Amino acid sequence: MKLSWRWILEFLQTDLTPPQAADRLVNGGVEVGSFERLAPGVEGVVVGEVEAVERDLGEYRGHHLRLVRVSTGRERFSVLCGAPNCVAGVRAAFAPPRATLPGGRRIEVATIRGVRSQGMLCSEKDLGIGEEHEGGILLVGEEAPLGADLLAHLGLDDWVLEVEITPNRPDCLSIVGVGRELAALTGGKFQYPTIAVAEGEGAAHALARVRIDDPDLCPRYAARVIAGVRVGPSPAWMAARLRAVGLRPISNVVDVTNYVLWELGHPLHAFDYDTVADHTIVVRRARRGERLTTLDGQDRALGESMLVIADPERAIGIGGVMGGANTEVTGATTRVLLEAAYFKPDSIRRTSRDLGLKTDAAYRFERGADIEGLRDAIDRAAQLIAEVAGGVVARGVIDVYPAPRRRPVVRLRMSRIQRVIGASPPVEEVARILEGLGLLVRREPGALQVEVPAFRRDIAIEEDLVEEVIRVWGYDRIPSTLPGGTLIPARRPRTLEQAAAARRALVAAGLDEVITYAFEDPARAAALGLASSDDSLLRLLNPLSQDASALKSDLMPALLRVIATNVRRQQPNVRVFEIGKHYARVRGEPAESRWLALALTGARANPAWYAPREPADGFDAKGLAEHVLAVLGLRDVAVDADPGAHPYFEPGRWGRLVVGGTAVAAFGEIALPAREVFDIPAPVFGATIPLDVVVAIAVEPPRFVALPRHPSVQRDVAFVIPQSLPAAEVEQVIRSAGGALLRSVTLFDLYAGEGVGPGTRSLAWRLTFRADDRTLTDAEVNDAYARVIEDVRRRFGVEVRGT
Amino acid sequence: MANLRIDRIRAAAAADLQAATTSAEAETVRVKYLGRQGEITQLLRSLASLPAAERPEVGRQANELKVEIDRLVGEKLALTRAAERRRELEAERPDLTLPGRRPPLGALHPLTRVDDEIVEIFIGLGFAVAEGPEVESEYNNFEALNIPRDHPARDMQDTFYLSEDTLLRTHTSPVQIRTMQAQRPPVRVICPGKVYRRDADITHSPMFHQVEGLAVDRDISMGDLKGTLELFAREMFGARSRIRFRPSFFPFTEPSAEVDVLCFLCGGGGCRVCKQSGWLEILGSGMVHPQVLRNVGYDPEEVTGWAFGMGVERVAMLKYGVDDIRLFFENDLRFLHQFA
Repeated sequence: MKLSWRWILEFLQTDLTPPQAADRLVNGGVEVGSFERLAPGVEGVVVGEVEAVERDLGEYRGHHLRLVRVSTGRERFSVLCGAPNCVAGVRAAFAPPRATLPGGRRIEVATIRGVRSQGMLCSEKDLGIGEEHEGGILLVGEEAPLGADLLAHLGLDDWVLEVEITPNRPDCLSIVGVGRELAALTGGKFQYPTIAVAEGEGAAHALARVRIDDPDLCPRYAARVIAGVRVGPSPAWMAARLRAVGLRPISNVVDVTNYVLWELGHPLHAFDYDTVADHTIVVRRARRGERLTTLDGQDRALGESMLVIADPERAIGIGGVMGGANTEVTGATTRVLLEAAYFKPDSIRRTSRDLGLKTDAAYRFERGADIEGLRDAIDRAAQLIAEVAGGVVARGVIDVYPAPRRRPVVRLRMSRIQRVIGASPPVEEVARILEGLGLLVRREPGALQVEVPAFRRDIAIEEDLVEEVIRVWGYDRIPSTLPGGTLIPARRPRTLEQAAAARRALVAAGLDEVITYAFEDPARAAALGLASSDDSLLRLLNPLSQDASALKSDLMPALLRVIATNVRRQQPNVRVFEIGKHYARVRGEPAESRWLALALTGARANPAWYAPREPADGFDAKGLAEHVLAVLGLRDVAVDADPGAHPYFEPGRWGRLVVGGTAVAAFGEIALPAREVFDIPAPVFGATIPLDVVVAIAVEPPRFVALPRHPSVQRDVAFVIPQSLPAAEVEQVIRSAGGALLRSVTLFDLYAGEGVGPGTRSLAWRLTFRADDRTLTDAEVNDAYARVIEDVRRRFGVEVRGT
Repeated sequence: MANLRIDRIRAAAAADLQAATTSAEAETVRVKYLGRQGEITQLLRSLASLPAAERPEVGRQANELKVEIDRLVGEKLALTRAAERRRELEAERPDLTLPGRRPPLGALHPLTRVDDEIVEIFIGLGFAVAEGPEVESEYNNFEALNIPRDHPARDMQDTFYLSEDTLLRTHTSPVQIRTMQAQRPPVRVICPGKVYRRDADITHSPMFHQVEGLAVDRDISMGDLKGTLELFAREMFGARSRIRFRPSFFPFTEPSAEVDVLCFLCGGGGCRVCKQSGWLEILGSGMVHPQVLRNVGYDPEEVTGWAFGMGVERVAMLKYGVDDIRLFFENDLRFLHQFA
């Protein structure tokens, strides 16, 4: 919200400069977005009069160029101007040579199309004070003194303060509100506006009637009648003020309602009295199917929960949101029915939201207007209408207020301030602070009874008062202490420990951690075979876009997308992982589970003189999964190499890691169709680990086993076996054949090609034999070794290589 | 006779050693004189054939000669070996400018680093870590936190809904509610996690990370909040860090404070990042609203508490000078590697 500093100064006596005031507001809880000169960069621009057209230069680039003589009273200038309203006799904004305009633009004598021009007549836009440009130069009226500083004359030598008001402080959404706040924060003197309506002929009660049918939505409605108004443009001072705070002047009557809205913070509405049937206002809920064309020209369907302002025949406004076109004040209006009412915040908020209609009035009503202060607002508006549009204000205010609101009284214990803050100003200062904020204070031993006027509807409990006191006293005076009290053991949950361990292991293995959005494109999920037609996918009711309209049911698609992005950006080797959640609907309820996913593409290692040059493959993915599981304490991980179909792993190229019958990982090559969805040229390998499943598996703490005291014996053996025979099966037979003496079996070589038959490969194992209680004899080892060879031969019909 | 023989051997050995230029040659000299068939060895063996009277003197001299030759050969060996090693090193000089064989090193995501750093500080201050679901009930996310339906405070947090009463949490505050519902005071928890708001531009992401803290106890004041956050700021942003409290509004705290940290880029003098103010807005905080305490069954006359919350992305952006929040979620390796 924009505020004018000069306007605030009408009600505040202060020595503060605008930047100082901004600083105090910030420290008092009013965020100040900016505090800037209203017309920055404008220097030396004065009121000039176009005395005569000296030469007509004809059309030039769509403008009719004229050389005119401009007087500033003391001096005369020849000035080129193409504005349509630049005619003899007008007074306008004139920038003589050496004046400056916004953006550091300096006016000099210039020669344009062979003609010397001494200065420039300026539009609003040239001066940076409005958008108007094509319509011509800024005319200032004949009463403007020649040669006077233009900004001072228009009241534009001002500062504009842009404040952000938190939703609890609607009272600060006005000049008066911020003025009162500044006075309280700085000890300056605040003077509430003097409101004096000169009432004339006619009694309002005889001229109009108000009936509230739904007081639950509108507890108070006040009206005045002003007759004999002449609708026209607002005087320059009022138009300038409205412009300064970002409002567009419309006509004097409408401008007054906006002016008072800004000054006092209470929204008002002006009806053309003669268009209101029976001059009777009815405040009621909208009827089924009722429609209204609002002031913005939109025809709107109203809901039955919405409150309308009506006359006996039809709706004439949406209460607290926007008036109707049917009763709009126009150039033909002579009598005005003025409304100041209070509408219930939640009702206004719903109506405004349902209609998609956000207005300055609704913004204030939904935050809470001042039900007590609306009389001041209607009086102030009546006074100003009479002043700027002529007219006579009828006697009296029609004020329907069936159940006047009672002011809450809140007790503030000095001990509570001390307890909540850890410090407290003395009671006299507390009282003075609260009174400075406009609250009424009665003293009691150790406490204050505080009566809260309606404009501070945010103050309802003791803590609210504590905040008010400390806010004004100064948050910087809150002491800095450390909590005492009980010591509580602070441990990380196991889930977090687990994630941290997995992260460390993978980063140390050269993978990069990524974090991707939790959103998923349902169409893409379907393309990857992740979301079947069932409704297991969690969908958002109000997504930002269709391609982010569900929550992801799997981490892998996002990793594929990361790979695609990087590959497209000339980074062909990508090795990434993410720890995140899968979201799904399980038995109707939303469920979240924590997963780890990793994906690799390109070379196994970054290019280096010592690095192997092979591309990564499925065993990298498998190995990384095994590595993570090992770091997480899982031993005895078995593989299920033929687990059937998978949504995005290639059939026959993926497997599961299993612990005690529980799947703890899946790994494999990403299926071609999935890769094509993301347009990734090279093969991608990945693995996923259900972290919640893993964390639930009991990991036995390590137990010490005595170190071997007798030497071991190693023997190597290689078998030539068919490609189709799984190594693990052979290894299983080796282990059982080796018996108790065979302590470890390590596959250390794999060879296929020249020297071994087609369709076969040679696998070589290193066997380690050892006994705990003696040194093995050659005969014992030979025996066991022979048994291994014999069993493998018999079981698979394969031969030992090289024998 | 014997003396002559000793002198002759001494001279010959000296000449042989003089002529030896390699360690192998030096070794040959050793064998020639001191070896099993060496001349000194034979000389010593021949002592027995000498007359008894000559034996001791000749024996002494022969032994002296043995020691002397052994020493000379040793010296020669040391010299030649050193020279040979030098030649060898010279000949097989590796190119030490070649890069070393480094094990691969990945990068933790910058948000993880910052998140960990924040959480670590509070664990050190005795805060337990609590987590909660991201898909939350409307009640836990709003109502329990004193944000009623149709209240303008909801404008502060534009929300993704999954159904009428289920949503993506807009802050980690529901974890505070869950924690308080599950245990009696004293409470001291830190709640990190993903949160969601319907907003997307260069400083707003529809998904981002928050860390919130909560302390509830018999006697805990806003002063304790300030002291704790000062400690945090010094740990996080450096020993010379300063913070400032500004009044603000959050429906679930009263009084509420916005906390700024002295701009660590300009030291408070004013720069582009702090928008010339000298301060960086870093977190929101306040005393837990009595209604919130009542909502979880605590008695606000018996216990007080404070809470604070900060955006991890915001801290990371300030700390690393990242100017577009979307970079965190794009995961370009060239971005990620800057934080390895």
